[in-house]
Amino acid sequence: MANDTISVPLDVYRFDPLHDAQPRYQRYTLDLAPHTPVLTALLKIRAEVDPTLRLRYSCRSAICGSCSMQINSKSRLACETHVGPEVELHGRVVVEPMRNQPVVRDLVVDQAPFWKQYDRMEPHLKLDPAKPMPEGRPNPMTEAQVERFHDTPRCIACAACFSACPAVEADPEFPGPMALAKLYRFVVDPRDNGTQDRLVRIQTEGLWLCLRCHLCTDSCPKNVRPAERIRDLKEMAIRVQGATERGSRHAVGFKDNIRSTGTLNELKLARQTSGFAGFVGQLGQGIRIWRKKPEITKRPHPVQGAEELEKIYEALDKPGDRR
Amino acid sequence: MLRHDVVVVGAGLAGQRAALAAIEAGRDVAVVSKLHPLRSHSGAAQGGINAAVGAEDSVDTHIYDTVKGSDYLGDQDAIEFFCREAGPTVVEMEHFGTIFSRAPDGSLARRPFGGGRFPRTIYAADRTGLALLQGLWERLGSEKFTLYQEWDLTNVVAREGRVHGIIAFDRIKGEFAQIASSAVVLATGPAGRIYSHSTNAHSCTGDGIAAAYDAGAVLKDMEFVQFHPTALLESSILITEGARGEGGLLKNASGERFMFRYAPNVQELASRDVVSRAIVTEVNEGRGFNGPYGPYVHLELMHLGKEKVESRLQEICDYSRRFAGIDPVTQPIPVYPAQHYMMGGIGTNSRGETNLPGLFAAGEAACVSIHGANRLGGNSLLETLVFGKQSGIAAAAHAATAPAPEMRPTDLDEATAPYRRWSSRTDGEDPSTLRTEMQRTMERYAGIYRNEADLMEGIRRVRALQARFERVRVVDQSRVYNLNLTDALETGHMLELAETIVVGAYARTESRGAHSRTDFPKRDDARWMKHTVARRTPEGPNLSYTPVGFTRWEPTERVY
Repeated sequence: MANDTISVPLDVYRFDPLHDAQPRYQRYTLDLAPHTPVLTALLKIRAEVDPTLRLRYSCRSAICGSCSMQINSKSRLACETHVGPEVELHGRVVVEPMRNQPVVRDLVVDQAPFWKQYDRMEPHLKLDPAKPMPEGRPNPMTEAQVERFHDTPRCIACAACFSACPAVEADPEFPGPMALAKLYRFVVDPRDNGTQDRLVRIQTEGLWLCLRCHLCTDSCPKNVRPAERIRDLKEMAIRVQGATERGSRHAVGFKDNIRSTGTLNELKLARQTSGFAGFVGQLGQGIRIWRKKPEITKRPHPVQGAEELEKIYEALDKPGDRR
Repeated sequence: MLRHDVVVVGAGLAGQRAALAAIEAGRDVAVVSKLHPLRSHSGAAQGGINAAVGAEDSVDTHIYDTVKGSDYLGDQDAIEFFCREAGPTVVEMEHFGTIFSRAPDGSLARRPFGGGRFPRTIYAADRTGLALLQGLWERLGSEKFTLYQEWDLTNVVAREGRVHGIIAFDRIKGEFAQIASSAVVLATGPAGRIYSHSTNAHSCTGDGIAAAYDAGAVLKDMEFVQFHPTALLESSILITEGARGEGGLLKNASGERFMFRYAPNVQELASRDVVSRAIVTEVNEGRGFNGPYGPYVHLELMHLGKEKVESRLQEICDYSRRFAGIDPVTQPIPVYPAQHYMMGGIGTNSRGETNLPGLFAAGEAACVSIHGANRLGGNSLLETLVFGKQSGIAAAAHAATAPAPEMRPTDLDEATAPYRRWSSRTDGEDPSTLRTEMQRTMERYAGIYRNEADLMEGIRRVRALQARFERVRVVDQSRVYNLNLTDALETGHMLELAETIVVGAYARTESRGAHSRTDFPKRDDARWMKHTVARRTPEGPNLSYTPVGFTRWEPTERVY
């Protein structure tokens, strides 16, 4: 905790959608200790330089989830991002509102799209009327059952993952990482009676739109690892319902391809994913690809040591924890 | 005009529980909150929630520990009710979906906490508040009610001795609005930001307590302010008592465990007021550390081992690493006491009723009183749920029989006239500057150790700040999310409450629980075994006193 200060240039996004044609960036330069949180810097600007700057904040200890924003193009909490490393890496601190949610004013966004997806997950215990809760005592839960939640109970709904997610940007139907991690939390809850329904429903309601880019896990300040929980949901959904959707058929087909030959048979995979009619529908696109890459129509040779793959898959198929 | 049977202000644990109870009673309920409910400060509570469910433990022991912890200022009838509700409350939260930590046999895990004779603090790692908040919000979310989000409470409207509704500032629209209701529950939390060093969130500015006081409700025991012994140096972020419950040790600059001097039997697990005073005494007598961010002592967890520290105290590891650059697995954590909890608040009974018909309060905004002069760790989460529920039940019953509220459009104009003047000034006081000066004043003159001269000076300074606040100016002229205006609203609320703290502390010439007068170091049961009651007058708080509720426990000297 050094006492020396550095000069910190902050370029802060300012925008009033009611009056401004476009956003602008305002430069504030402050002398701060390197471990000063960006939130502290912004509050100092509000108190000492410009009281018109708008942002959300409350706990300043990474537990309320209010102060998510883009800091040097990464979605994170302002209260736990320090100015020193940012200045060292980028020469300045660019502060912008979260993405994938409309700007209300400056750094404040309208979180309605985020909460709408959260609500879609029916985030409450579904009970079987025939099986009431034990009267006057808690449900027993083993430590192993608690372990199955992984770190999903740590989620503070800060929406950093929702802001970072390219699938959310591409398709408003995608529930987003937080909502899916929340869904996972209910799916593995031994008290919940909706596991099967939840998994079947999510298969057609956006589960397979995840791009597996892991930017959610990367941006999560509480280490919830939504990408891994989405993977778990996909596996559980296939186990419950089989590969009934394009996404799940693609995943299963991909695995079959690799398992049998160690390499992809693109034509076979396209048929497995889309079915015969879908395959015919994609012929035009297929021909365009074939002109550039004629080898895709050739049947691939099994790779060397393909039999080793079988052993790997056998090991992977064994139940157990995989983080 | 908006109108609801019951309006609950504040959406932390107390407010949500009140809303659920009123909904279950069949009322049309509105929840008004300055934050999204999941961002409430209840979520920052770490250590746990007390319930005497262990085989070795009993409800009577929990009652006794709470009475003793309160330094005999807690109302014993209320405490008995409170402790009896503990078990069912925790079970209910588990049924709502809260994910608690578990013992190897599948039951709810428990840890020891300061001032408790047996391990009775049930927890969810070191984020119990968050776990309860999630569980309750998940339960409440499946009910029908109206949520007014990011609305700042400014006024409770009361006339002819009863409540007619509230006035609040809608941050997003940038407008003042009124909601008519004959039953209002205030669950707006504390005003910890009155002090410079507080573990509280920035949002903890006592809006509901101040609005109740303005409307004619009485405030009780405001001078009792708890300082948590172990706040992280510089940021004052809370380091849970659970850290000591798990075996953490306090050491001074010579590497010596010093608690034996102050609480020879239980040392680090003495109650919070005792440990906070011990740390300040060590520092004042030259045995503390000194650094650029002030004095401190060490909280050591290293001997507990990496696995225990990282699993049971996961958030504490994160806080220390991210906010202080310290790894508690290998390094001691620098800590110093900071304002943490207000035992005082809006005076209520066990049903959450105030002296004003139609006005109810629960949680940290209220003072029942069960914490008396000092709250035990693990009792505040329980309080939010037990009395949140009671106030919701009482408000629902009141709404069913009370005459219709008579809120008038002119109420809005009258109440908001001063706020409009703030924005029309071309010259005046900056709300942030006044807030900072108030915080420093309270820290310096009404902190852990108090005396007559300091408190007199504190009163003088707070009143001078109040006078300056009359000329407060809001520079920002735009409407949407005008934080310059909310800064001013909050500062006004806190200045009013700061006065009740210093005036109450000046009058109370004894030391009891968290109120330590160096000029009156002993508890004085003959003169001061009574609650302070503050009523608002144009000349400042008018103090009177009411007796403490007794049942079975005779006061004895408090030794840990």
